[in-house]
Amino acid sequence: MKNPDAIVIGAGVVGACCALALTNAGLKVLIIDRGPVASGTTGAGEGNILVSDKEPSAELTLAIRSRDLWFEIDTDIGGGFELEAKGGVVVSRSAKGISDLKRLSALQKVNGVEVIELDGAGLRKIEPHLSESVDYGVLYPGDAQCQPMLAAAQIIRAVKKRGGSFIQGENVVKINANAGSITGVTTDKNQYASPIIINATGTWAGEIAKLAGSYLPIMPRRGFILVTSPAPKIVHHKVYDADYVANVASSDADLQSAAVVEGTASGTILIGASRERVGFKGDMDISILRQLARQAISLFPVLADIQLLRAYRGFRPYAPDHLPVIGPDKNIAGLWHAAGHEGAGIGLAPATGDLIAAQITGRTPFMDPSAFSPVRFKGGEYVAV
Amino acid sequence: MHNVVIIGAGPAGLSASLAAAAAGAPVLLIDSNPRLGGQYWRMSADDFQDQHNQHFDLDTGLLLINAVKARKEIEVWSGAQIWSATNKDGKNTLRIIYQGKERIVNTENLILCTGAYDRTLPFPGWDIPGVMTPGGVQSLLKGHGVLAGRRVVVAGSGPFLLPVAAGVIKAGGSVVALLEASKSRRWLTSFFVLLENISKIKEAFYYIKTISEAKVRARFGQAVIAAHAASNGELESVDIAKIDRNFRIKKVQNIKCDVAAIGWGFTADTSLAGSLGCNQLVAKDDGVVVWVDGEQQTSIPGVFAAGEITGIGGSDLSMAEGVIAGISAAKFVGCNVEVLKAHRKRRAKRQRFANALIRAYPIKPGWKSWLKDETIICRCEEVCLSDLKHSINELGATDSRTAKLLTRCGMGLCQGRICGRFVVDLVANELNLSPTDTDRISAVNRPIITPIPLGVLALGE
Amino acid sequence: MSQFDIEFTFDDNTITASPGQSVGAALLAANLRSLGQTRFNKNKRGVFCGIGVCFDCLVVVDGIANQRACIVEAKSGMKVQTQVGSNA
Repeated sequence: MKNPDAIVIGAGVVGACCALALTNAGLKVLIIDRGPVASGTTGAGEGNILVSDKEPSAELTLAIRSRDLWFEIDTDIGGGFELEAKGGVVVSRSAKGISDLKRLSALQKVNGVEVIELDGAGLRKIEPHLSESVDYGVLYPGDAQCQPMLAAAQIIRAVKKRGGSFIQGENVVKINANAGSITGVTTDKNQYASPIIINATGTWAGEIAKLAGSYLPIMPRRGFILVTSPAPKIVHHKVYDADYVANVASSDADLQSAAVVEGTASGTILIGASRERVGFKGDMDISILRQLARQAISLFPVLADIQLLRAYRGFRPYAPDHLPVIGPDKNIAGLWHAAGHEGAGIGLAPATGDLIAAQITGRTPFMDPSAFSPVRFKGGEYVAV
Repeated sequence: MHNVVIIGAGPAGLSASLAAAAAGAPVLLIDSNPRLGGQYWRMSADDFQDQHNQHFDLDTGLLLINAVKARKEIEVWSGAQIWSATNKDGKNTLRIIYQGKERIVNTENLILCTGAYDRTLPFPGWDIPGVMTPGGVQSLLKGHGVLAGRRVVVAGSGPFLLPVAAGVIKAGGSVVALLEASKSRRWLTSFFVLLENISKIKEAFYYIKTISEAKVRARFGQAVIAAHAASNGELESVDIAKIDRNFRIKKVQNIKCDVAAIGWGFTADTSLAGSLGCNQLVAKDDGVVVWVDGEQQTSIPGVFAAGEITGIGGSDLSMAEGVIAGISAAKFVGCNVEVLKAHRKRRAKRQRFANALIRAYPIKPGWKSWLKDETIICRCEEVCLSDLKHSINELGATDSRTAKLLTRCGMGLCQGRICGRFVVDLVANELNLSPTDTDRISAVNRPIITPIPLGVLALGE
Repeated sequence: MSQFDIEFTFDDNTITASPGQSVGAALLAANLRSLGQTRFNKNKRGVFCGIGVCFDCLVVVDGIANQRACIVEAKSGMKVQTQVGSNA
């Protein structure tokens, strides 16, 4: 593609959603990725589209809008990515956990999230295999799920049908600028000119910022997911322990894990979620797999007879304050960042694309985006682990 | 003295166990089958029938099996499933389900003899009950005394079709067609290799005698290209075709049968070696095998490999490699022993024969023309050819890994063991590319080597 | 010892087996070739690889699904059932 209006670096779900929003706003968009579609964090995710795991904040506003946008995209591009409004169920078994969950869900309700409190009988009515040890939980009908790789691939397919391009297998080696303004990128194979670059490279977003002579503190937070053999419908919602919410917000480097269990359209059951800051360490840690299995079985004892088929790991891109980075770079005009969504990238991608497109095209964004501005980081303040 | 841990009790593993034990190293022999012998010397549990009937050389097998049983230095775990194997700081950890419990074995000295299974190619109807692999038909005969059906078509390519056809006849079945896709004269180019491996010729003639006495004539340059089900959903007939040298269909004929045993040689099961991090490479037949040096040592010091996983070559080569691996491993743990020149010579001779086999039975790319859009490619996840094409042409997959993740092709219970190998070819074909070695090797990557119940996983430490 | 001294059930049929025989082998000996149905297309499947590699011959054994008929040893009193899909 000659002279695109904008170049999106990164063909994960965030890059795909940015490209779609810009394309729908009338821009000619080129997506570049060093690998195939969704070969980074997107391909290692569960496909969470959650409103349940966020404290009332700018991020919750982003999540609520993004959740609705997913269903709009589904209609817009004709689906094909297993989007399902399955609902989430958050449970807790400790007195403190229950009181925290009650406080959080009450606050979420005030902020427009639909919440339904359930006792043990109510929980087992919607999740018949849930352990008898659980007698308090909250149903979030707004939580949804998709197959994230298919989502990215289908969205990019739509972008291409609408005049955009996708080049894969080219590594961006240089960000070109002139007098502080973006002029394009150089890859290991070609050069592309454009006045706008969107950095949607997830865990590697800091590297791209560095290539441009700027700074972005995005670091990896490793997580494992267990995938079972295809099973009958045992788990009907995304069911997770309230500890998960605390873990998401934690800045601790050590391993944390809380049971997150859900079925998928293909019949497999996904079990998460661990979080640890170990850099890009990729080796299989069996003790984490065991811990995840134990936690999942404690929620759904029937899982003990279901077989583990695969385990995979991914790296969540996170910023020091655990908020995504969405907005213009503070040093270079024309460089935009859309990264650092941690474990919520699938859910937050459409609203991220919408905020980016609104700001680039001068449309009024649906919310004040300043909480996500890259300007909030001072160079050198944070060091990646 | 450390244990030498040996995985797999077929020709290579049995030979390795005896060689290591003879050199003075205590051995732990771990095998997934209920009885020793591997696929080659698979035997029934019981003596209710004369098992020699189904074997060319059972005596060698019984000799090795009985010798292993007799040696006190060899501890045997049969019926053990290894679900995970990792290598960290020079130590190998095997996680094994044995007698209903999980056992952990840590060792620095391993010999991997995990063998091979039938190589399959997809075709319309290959998922119909009654279509089987030759190895499946043979294991029913050898291991269970059961003939899979009365009228059997044996087809595909490679010398393994002969013992399977002979086995069916000896068990009272009728071989209604015996089809070898390659042309017979390819063998003539390997005349001298045949001469120096005269025992293999004897073995072939032993099968051919049985086959010709039953008035079955092998047909060369022909293949089963489709299978058809009766109204009950089970196999009723197959289409057999004359094919050209590139495996393109020339002329088709339908034939009634109860069972079609179709195989295209073998695929090495390198999951365990790959999981440990042993270097793998792509062999002449495009199969992924484990790299070893002259001592049968893999790229990980102390980890050895022998038999089919280092390259498909049959039982004689497996035994020759097993002996060298057993001696090398014993030496590694401090035994005063050396691999002899005679051992290396025997291996080299068998290796030349194995190379000639691969040359004689090439699988040509025309098999892809047998497929239809609706042909099942991944049996587990029921992914058909058009799904795979869609992932490439519409969703932008440019490699087999992405195509797999977008379609679930190869992500089912068999973990891609059946379809993984040819999906790489199908994806590359759709993209007009040649598969890379990386494509082929990444298709056999399985961190969870065999499915394990979550309850068992949860109980472990 | 007689050749067939093991009896188990497959759905409504009583099947005999000899010691050490797999469930799949005993079923094939009884000319039962279809063991289950696939979970999406509901196609019939039977023993394919015969050595535990392909997971095509899945049956429910004593209530537990996804058991490979070709490697599960037949035992007296076993209750084997057709597996439909992942067995709902």
